[in-house]
Amino acid sequence: MGVTLLKPYTNRAWLGVLPVVLIVAFSAVVPLMTVVNYSVQDILDFNSRFYVGLQWYQQTLNDPRFVDAFVRQLGFSTAVLVVEVPLGIVVAKGIPRAGKGLLTPLLLVFLAVPLLVPWNVVGTIWQMYARPDIGLLGVLLNNWGLEYNYAANPLDAWLTLLAMDVWHWTSLVALLAFAGLSSIPPQYYQAAELDGANRWQVFRYVELPRLRGVLVIAVLLRLMDSFMIYTEPFVLTGGGPGNTTTFLSQYLATMAVGQFDLGPAAAFSVIYFLFILLFCWLFYTSVMATDGER
Amino acid sequence: MARISLDQVCFHYPDTSTNVLDKLSLQVEDGEAHALLGASGAGKSTLLNILSGLLVPTAGRVLFNGRDVSQQRGRARKVAQVFQFPVLYESMSVHHNLAFPLRNLGLPRAEIAARIGDLTHSLGIESILTSTPSRLSLFEKQLVAVAKALIRPDVSVILLDEPLTAVEPRIKWRLRQVLRKAQADSGVTMIYVTHDQTEALTFADRVSVLTEQGILQTDTPQNIYDSPRHEFVGHFVGSPGMNFVPAQILGLGAQQTLGFRPEWATLCNPPAAMSGRVERVRAQGTAKDGPLGIMRVQTACGEVNIRGTITHQVGDEVGVQVQRYLLFEDQVQVGGGDFA
Amino acid sequence: MNRGHFSTWVLVGFCLYLLLPLYWLFSMAIRDNADIVGGFELIPAHPTLANFAEIFSNPVWYQAFGNSLTYVVINTFVSLLVAIPAAYTFSRFRFLGDRQLFFWLLTNRMAPPAVFLLPFFQLYSAIGLFDTPLAVALAHCLFTVPLSVWILEGFFSAVPRALDEMARLDGHSFGYFFLRIFLPINRGAIGVTLFFCFMFSWVELLLARTLSGSDAKPVVVVMTRTVSASGIDWGVLAAAGVLTVLPGIVVVWFVRKHLVKGFALGRVT
Repeated sequence: MGVTLLKPYTNRAWLGVLPVVLIVAFSAVVPLMTVVNYSVQDILDFNSRFYVGLQWYQQTLNDPRFVDAFVRQLGFSTAVLVVEVPLGIVVAKGIPRAGKGLLTPLLLVFLAVPLLVPWNVVGTIWQMYARPDIGLLGVLLNNWGLEYNYAANPLDAWLTLLAMDVWHWTSLVALLAFAGLSSIPPQYYQAAELDGANRWQVFRYVELPRLRGVLVIAVLLRLMDSFMIYTEPFVLTGGGPGNTTTFLSQYLATMAVGQFDLGPAAAFSVIYFLFILLFCWLFYTSVMATDGER
Repeated sequence: MARISLDQVCFHYPDTSTNVLDKLSLQVEDGEAHALLGASGAGKSTLLNILSGLLVPTAGRVLFNGRDVSQQRGRARKVAQVFQFPVLYESMSVHHNLAFPLRNLGLPRAEIAARIGDLTHSLGIESILTSTPSRLSLFEKQLVAVAKALIRPDVSVILLDEPLTAVEPRIKWRLRQVLRKAQADSGVTMIYVTHDQTEALTFADRVSVLTEQGILQTDTPQNIYDSPRHEFVGHFVGSPGMNFVPAQILGLGAQQTLGFRPEWATLCNPPAAMSGRVERVRAQGTAKDGPLGIMRVQTACGEVNIRGTITHQVGDEVGVQVQRYLLFEDQVQVGGGDFA
Repeated sequence: MNRGHFSTWVLVGFCLYLLLPLYWLFSMAIRDNADIVGGFELIPAHPTLANFAEIFSNPVWYQAFGNSLTYVVINTFVSLLVAIPAAYTFSRFRFLGDRQLFFWLLTNRMAPPAVFLLPFFQLYSAIGLFDTPLAVALAHCLFTVPLSVWILEGFFSAVPRALDEMARLDGHSFGYFFLRIFLPINRGAIGVTLFFCFMFSWVELLLARTLSGSDAKPVVVVMTRTVSASGIDWGVLAAAGVLTVLPGIVVVWFVRKHLVKGFALGRVT
């Protein structure tokens, strides 16, 4: 680290961030307070409400449907990370790094396309693609003798959701990893070759340490975004068959908008938000802790 | 360890036709410390990459101990390299960094430990063995990078690519000393690429001066300085470089150029065959005759620099008396002599 | 370099994996519905532009596209307008609670949109913005503003503060420096930020659906409602899908050079 000048300390700087604070406070703090407020009340209609303490929290945590959705959510997020992070890294390694031709920029733009498709359109695309009657994938699988129907078979539904999420988000990991790989000076590869390192060792000792930073970001983003997933399964499976693909957001939306159970939904929201903060914090501090050891 | 020869090596990059290297030949003896000195753009990096096996010459051969290795990669040639900035495995401790190439060679554990022990002792870096690179200074990191090259028992040549660039100026000399001593102790062939003449002249047994035209001269540092084969070498080496004036001023051949080092001449009072006015005086120390320094004189045939006892001041009209000189024809040295 | 063919094959395979669903979407977009339901065809035998014609002639569709673009543009504009000064402030000054504030902004990125459904609905109904593009734009600010501050701060911090000092010594006013010197050299950063704001706002469905009734219905919502109408018109749905993918491709093409740099800072989405 070179010598960095200390940034000047002045509280007039608050003027610069004030617009952001105001706009975020308007769109985050007010609604969050509303949620917390609802979560401790029983609301029959907006004119008769009672304070109920932590009753909704207890009820939510003991609700088997919440627990089921939570377990499903954990399983889904884990599967997403396990598939997308390694796949993204390998894809990034396949992108040619020499910068001159049009190939690399075209590849990058193409990889970015799924990230720019509206989330419900992602669901629609996969619906069209995987339906056993009209979808390319669905028809082909059934022609090959596989009894594939994501609307009827829970395993098929799960695999289709996972395949869809891989389609939708692996590019994010790949682009991040590519940026990380691009920042490695060629001398590191040359040195490793002279040291007799094999391909795995080059990856393990040259590339992976340098990818650490971007991979932390990638894992964080995929962890929290997959934990919030709503739109794609809503369009593709609607949470079914049965409730087998109902994740937390979906369950929450049903409660809040569908059944109008304001109190329980609010308690659910608070728990949900806290869990995401907790996971991110746990992951982040464990990363920082291993940094400290090194 | 190896004797290294380049035999009429040519190189041009794939989508170009002009040769970066044109029929370049070079001989580095086994156990020699050799410096490749050149300004940027002279083709140093290209030459280094050809030696390390990163680039394949478009014509000519690279020989290690007489064996043609032109098509081999650096690993097969058993080359080790130290780069401009420290290249280490960031997630490994210093110990593991040093052990890594040895493990890949399949050396037994005990021997690895012994080699690391010996080398780190002689380099004085035992105390940082358990640290990871991120906790070391640039100097220490580059020292470890050097150690990583020295540790291999099988190495044929160590290529050093401007290894002092990243190190702070005031401890550059320490690293250079370490390198010099390690080379003397181990007797390994080293090729040291640099644009810095001081580094080249103080490090190497022999120096090759490289320009876009190829290697102009390969010789000992003493001969490079005292008897440059080419005007460019005389000009490029030395600080300030060699003075050049038309030879006929001093009554020598009409087509020739006369070159003399700043300390090969003294100033006197005019009249003289070459005369002018002192433009600048830079003191550089003292000797028993008085202050030493460099005096720059503006003469009819250009500026000349004279080094020695400061005998005149700025503004003085002076004559320049050359005691020793070299003669150049078409930029190539054709002889020399003394004015008694 | 010591790079194998394995990763190249994986890349090729992955590109194919990305391409097939997109191809299928496109092939459905150029077939009429009877044709789609009637039989499976790898390559459309009777391509038609009727589905696109339907979208461009039906006000429900083209107004929906208009609504979507309206709130995306408002959102991007507002986000940049407030985020640029804030990011500059974070990158140049320390002040009471700066770290806490920065962290708090980031936690908003972690909030599941589903949590905000109900309070947003009530909030925007109460202030009379419900069913306007402005409501959706403001709601999306919850995510795009922290994101923009984060990305821009990363880029701005990389610009040496000596530059500010130099402009001041040259006698330029702060306004001149900021608008004529600082922002132009950061146009790549602004491009990347714009891309991510646009992207987030364009792709979001949940909040957009909750905050729009009948008048401000965005295209993503119209698409989900077509599904429940009398049978599904797959052809029109696919054509609409194709049209929603296009703006993203145009935007990403324009910022492609800065994208990798933006990703390298690790500060995205």
